[in-house]
Amino acid sequence: MSDKSPAIRPAVIIGGNRIPFARSNGAYSKASNQDMLTAALDGLIARFGLQGQRIGAVAAGAVLKHSKDFNLVRECVLGTSLSAHTPAYDVQMACATGMEAIGSLANKIKLGQIDSGIGGGVDTTSDAPIAVSEGLREMLMELNRARSTGAKLKALSKFRPRDLAPNAPGTGEPRTGLSMGDHQAITTKAWNITREAQDELALASHKNLAAAYERNFFDDLITPFAGVAQDTNMRADSTLEKLASLKPAFGKNLGAEATMTAGNSTPLTDGASTVLLGSEEYARANDLPMLANFVDFEAAAVDFVHGAEGLLMAPTHAVARILERNNLTLQDFDFYEIHEAFAGTVLSTLAAWEDADFCKNKLGLDAALGSIDRTKLNVNGSSLAAGHPFAATGGRIVATLAKMLHEKGSGRGLVSVCAAGGQGVVAIVEAR
Amino acid sequence: MADKYLELVNSGFTKKLAKTLGLPRPAILRRYAPGAALLPGPVLLLGDSAEAQGVADTLLGWGLDVRRHAAGGEKLGGIILLLDELRAPGELSAPMLAAAGALRDLAPGARIVSFSRPAMESDAPAVAAVRQGIDGAIRSLGRELRGGATANGIVLGPKATATAPSALAALHFLLSGRSAYVDGQFLHIETTDGTLPADFDKPLAGKVAVVTGAARGIGAAIAHTLHRDGATIVLVDVPSAGDALAAVANEVTGTALQLDVTRADAGAKIIEHALARHGRLDIVIHNAGITRDKLLANMDAARWDSVIAVNLASQLAMNEAFLAAKLPGLRIVSLASTSGIAGNRGQTNYAASKGGVIGMVRASAPDFAANGGGINAVAPGFIETEMTAKIPVATRAVARMLMPSLMQGGLPGDVAEAIGFLASDAAAGINGSTLRVCGQSMVGA
Amino acid sequence: MSPRPTEVLGVAPSLGSLYAKAAGARVRAMLPGSKPDGGGLPMVEHHLEALDIDAAHLVAYQRLMGDTVRDELPSVFVHGLAFPVAMSVLVRKDFPLPLLGMVHLANKVKHLRPISPRATLSVTAYATGLREHRAGTALDVVAEVREGKELVWRGVSTYLARGVWQGPKPGSTAEPRAAFAAPVRTASWKLAADTGRAYAAVMGDYNPIHLWAASAKALGMKRAIAHGMYLAGRALAGAAPHGDGYDWDIEFATPVLLPSTVEVSFRDHATGTAFSGWGARSNKPHFSGNITVNDEAGAQG
Repeated sequence: MSDKSPAIRPAVIIGGNRIPFARSNGAYSKASNQDMLTAALDGLIARFGLQGQRIGAVAAGAVLKHSKDFNLVRECVLGTSLSAHTPAYDVQMACATGMEAIGSLANKIKLGQIDSGIGGGVDTTSDAPIAVSEGLREMLMELNRARSTGAKLKALSKFRPRDLAPNAPGTGEPRTGLSMGDHQAITTKAWNITREAQDELALASHKNLAAAYERNFFDDLITPFAGVAQDTNMRADSTLEKLASLKPAFGKNLGAEATMTAGNSTPLTDGASTVLLGSEEYARANDLPMLANFVDFEAAAVDFVHGAEGLLMAPTHAVARILERNNLTLQDFDFYEIHEAFAGTVLSTLAAWEDADFCKNKLGLDAALGSIDRTKLNVNGSSLAAGHPFAATGGRIVATLAKMLHEKGSGRGLVSVCAAGGQGVVAIVEAR
Repeated sequence: MADKYLELVNSGFTKKLAKTLGLPRPAILRRYAPGAALLPGPVLLLGDSAEAQGVADTLLGWGLDVRRHAAGGEKLGGIILLLDELRAPGELSAPMLAAAGALRDLAPGARIVSFSRPAMESDAPAVAAVRQGIDGAIRSLGRELRGGATANGIVLGPKATATAPSALAALHFLLSGRSAYVDGQFLHIETTDGTLPADFDKPLAGKVAVVTGAARGIGAAIAHTLHRDGATIVLVDVPSAGDALAAVANEVTGTALQLDVTRADAGAKIIEHALARHGRLDIVIHNAGITRDKLLANMDAARWDSVIAVNLASQLAMNEAFLAAKLPGLRIVSLASTSGIAGNRGQTNYAASKGGVIGMVRASAPDFAANGGGINAVAPGFIETEMTAKIPVATRAVARMLMPSLMQGGLPGDVAEAIGFLASDAAAGINGSTLRVCGQSMVGA
Repeated sequence: MSPRPTEVLGVAPSLGSLYAKAAGARVRAMLPGSKPDGGGLPMVEHHLEALDIDAAHLVAYQRLMGDTVRDELPSVFVHGLAFPVAMSVLVRKDFPLPLLGMVHLANKVKHLRPISPRATLSVTAYATGLREHRAGTALDVVAEVREGKELVWRGVSTYLARGVWQGPKPGSTAEPRAAFAAPVRTASWKLAADTGRAYAAVMGDYNPIHLWAASAKALGMKRAIAHGMYLAGRALAGAAPHGDGYDWDIEFATPVLLPSTVEVSFRDHATGTAFSGWGARSNKPHFSGNITVNDEAGAQG
């Protein structure tokens, strides 16, 4: 597929809006997914004057969702000043939710099915759904099905006090029982990523994000929410010494070889993001900016369950495929936005691309994809500093990158977002 | 901000009680609503002037009943005093006394508007005397009126006539509910520039207006008013107020621009946004402002400098950018304050910035006129906002009732109405001036 | 076919009554003058014609193992179905070893083809291979499950009667255990204190050493320990093929005390998956095993 094909038109990134990301159980502890996504949409609508407009589709999602939020995005749309005739749907692809939502809208725009779309995501670990225990759930379901009093009593008789213990959602992989951090710890060690390298990447993330705020970069990318105007996880005054003093948080089974700390891993975060996409015709007709083209995106998944591949290494595969499809090399980019789930994820990914064996045996290439210019990596900070409200990260990255490319006036950027379940989505964005 | 006192003294039992006790009874002001009648009754046109016929025709055209003599027994919506041809103090007697006879017939919310000429250094002393005397007479009359009625004047410069577009627009503004909290003030018409709106309910149709400090208070009211009057609004406020800004933007179907106006490139950013997103820039309302009150003895550099930077220096810098861009017909309205005219304890910094605005618009007028535009200021008095809501209740009540002749604080919308008028094309003949919206408070002139 | 005479059971024996019988035997064994039988294994096989397959139990089992509910019998579930018949051999009066306190050493299973939950299955079980072990006396219990005449499942469970010797206690032949080096973990199982009770509730195996710390202590364990078959079931849920026959085996090294976290390694190889588990805290090996797709069925792969 190419944008040059006559049947396919460009999907243009017009702009974005997110609310500041806040550490879990902090500033947004009373905010629901619906509150936050609605706020992010409100800011986007205000920025681009979309009031009353019928948008082609709004696609977003949340990784942790209450059952009452079965139609989360549509409910959010109804709470905004967008036309009530705007369709909306929920997407869920773990941490790649935002990327998948944006990519699918871009495809619809390219195909001419819609002229405009808003993609994004939201997550809260502060207002996460707590499920009743399996025992209580089954008892209640049976009670619900029971017709006669006897059947109802029988159902009730199955209740056990231990059933009252609720189940909170975890970030563990269902098939392995390992947390994402513990999975990454395996990969981090396999690629011999040092503690120092991880801490340096974390520090750079904080410094880059703070510098971006300092030069007002986020003025047209963020709208405050609940009294918060900046990402609360950002530590502009962090130092390597402070980071070095932290104790390992993941891979503790590795003992002295554990390298992953709370400082070089993303914290649980609450937040929401949105991105406005459209056709060129739509943008022109509405006097809207055209920051960049959403050129292509690719999802990949790896077999991590028995350790054949690291849980968060799917983007390495996806990048190999998207580069080939677009006749590009890994070095053909002006910006690299690699989601910092953990510093170890980014560094393992880079190490894998530099590794000839990996690229030959795992990616099926003739040679290594090679190194990237590290000065082009996450230049305005990434998840380690900003935080990572799972489904909201894709929208944060795409809007940020589009603005960076537009400011530069030329070039292209590569997005890489890993996700639970051994998945990942990558994308190519081109300046305009 | 609901003024409970105002409600109580104007309704039912509490109204009688207030009357019996002799409590001040501020009136419910006659404010504008789209489609409302211009005046609550016929208008009495007094004074001998060559302009009389033209003015009468215009009033008739606006659907008003025009009387040349007080008939008695009829509630009048307003009195217009044509005093522009007076040459000696003695000539003021007849029209003023004629008006006096009609004052008891004024309906609540009535309007008195005078037309006169400015007293200038080049005038013969007697001429200057009567002209300046009109100023004192009208201001005093304003203080005597009750029931929310006001008295204001239109001062016709040497190049202006009473039927010049801006003079008529000023007359329309002063007669209408838009001027509810404007009392004892004079609008100076300098030229015959400007065009009257095709629809007085949509005087800003097709215009693109930027409002700074639009996230709340008076700024939000300006955005709402200008939007109601037909303008497309670009709402500017500091990024940290972005959520409130977005909410207002979505209410007025405008676009939000998160921008600190003290940034060196603020003017350029505003121009870029307005032109790229809306294709034009017709109106800028410099509303963004802060207070950092302290007695001068306790003042520090941070308080002083930040107030000057936001309230004044930013406007000067942005105006330079607007002038350099040569935006045709750009009209600017800046927010001054009665503090900048009369001073206010604890506000040396704020008053310096707001007095500075008044000087700035006066000095900038020729430059903006060169591109077919203009610049004016509005000086609000005591306006009920979130900010004033923080003033202690007793102080607030005193400030509302005892200070202005209208015996109450104004609303943000009252300020916005004056701004909307000055921002309109019809006000093109008004330039470099400052209009007070203060309910004729005692402070200042 | 085995040359052993067949004793056909009328109804499926209940594990509860079998344990009660075993406990009685244990008490008898403790009476003065009572000694281990000293004889060989009974030359008999027990046979049950129609296994009762409870659909609700099957679902409960699949849920407990974190597996997808499918229309086929998991191999460990089949083991559980055959287990009472196998047990009935071990509680025979002429069985020479005490059942209670017997340690489960290993399983070797041929799951010859997928088995439908609605199949009519018969089971035949017998004990064999009585032998000396460095820690006592070991034997195999063989269970064969058939659908009609077709053998569909064959399991060999190896047990150890710890500290019981048929002859004189041998000299220490224990090889020093090699220091355990944990492989790269690919999974982590957090086993709650009620893991044994949960498995018992599904599979009916209420052996007291699995249920409560107190009941386990009475039988000489520090705390309750996980059922070996629970661990095997978890491993199979994570790696067993579906729609194919396969072989699997598991060896138990040290018991999994409850509650605890078991670190697990799954390692895919050319013909299947190797797995092992060890203590997250103790770093002692708990079990290791292998799953291989059947030669016949695996030919296509």
